[in-house]
Amino acid sequence: MKRSIVILLLAGWLAGCATPAPPPARELQLAATPGETLREAMHLLMERGYVIRHADGELGRLDAVLARMPGYGVSLRVTGVGDGSRVAFIATRGGRALPPTVLDPLLTDLQSRLGLLP
Amino acid sequence: MRAWLQLLLTGGLTGLLAGCQMTPTTLPVAEPAPAAECRWPAAPGDSLARVVTALEAGGFLVRHTDVPLGLVSAERARTTLYHDNGIDRLPRIGGFVLGGSGGHVSSGVMIGIGGGFGPGVDEATRVERVSVVVDQRQLQVARDIRMIDWRGDLRESRSASDAGFCRDLRRAIEATPAGEAP
Repeated sequence: MKRSIVILLLAGWLAGCATPAPPPARELQLAATPGETLREAMHLLMERGYVIRHADGELGRLDAVLARMPGYGVSLRVTGVGDGSRVAFIATRGGRALPPTVLDPLLTDLQSRLGLLP
Repeated sequence: MRAWLQLLLTGGLTGLLAGCQMTPTTLPVAEPAPAAECRWPAAPGDSLARVVTALEAGGFLVRHTDVPLGLVSAERARTTLYHDNGIDRLPRIGGFVLGGSGGHVSSGVMIGIGGGFGPGVDEATRVERVSVVVDQRQLQVARDIRMIDWRGDLRESRSASDAGFCRDLRRAIEATPAGEAP
């Protein structure tokens, strides 16, 4: 009995150290060119107080940071697909990936800004 | 309950709670939000080159630009004093004792805890990071400030897209003759 309590508690203790696998990026297919997508995403992030550290229209990359402890970041990777673009978003907190669902409001705003929502 | 069991229980609970570390459910945003002054309509003659010139004149070092996107990312560092109010002045532990008597010399280690009193002021580096986007419609600015102490530890980190800074930057950009831009 005593041993099982100890094992249970140790398991709980170790659970605190568990490092979950980084979740996949939030991907979206948009009927807008990679350039338009990057430009609007950049405006949206800056409206939220993010500072753009790096963006390259030709490479289809954007990295933005928010100076709130422990440090938040958003990265975008945009590729052209036909007439549209495929965009992958990754949000991090203290260098660790956040669940992709945190990006949903931003993605909805992006679609709305690009005029893709009904 | 035995002492060791109590210890394990406390440790286990701490571990469990550490496992439930809070992750935000939405993407955090700057609080307060960037001031309305940090976005203004573009005037004829506004260009990325003009913004770069104005930033450099203000002591910023340009880190990155992307001309097709109309983006410039720059930073400015200054040495400043950081008032930590003694928040994390941890007591120092340690000591060394050397002594002798009757022709013998011996040494030993003594452990003691000590604290200090002081004004709580350290030298620190204040780093401002700013990004400006220029397009045909508007100019938009975002800025943050980080304070790094002399040990290299980040002491403070906050968004700083405030009205005062953006107003000054706008004035500086408008004061830069469009023709002088490189």
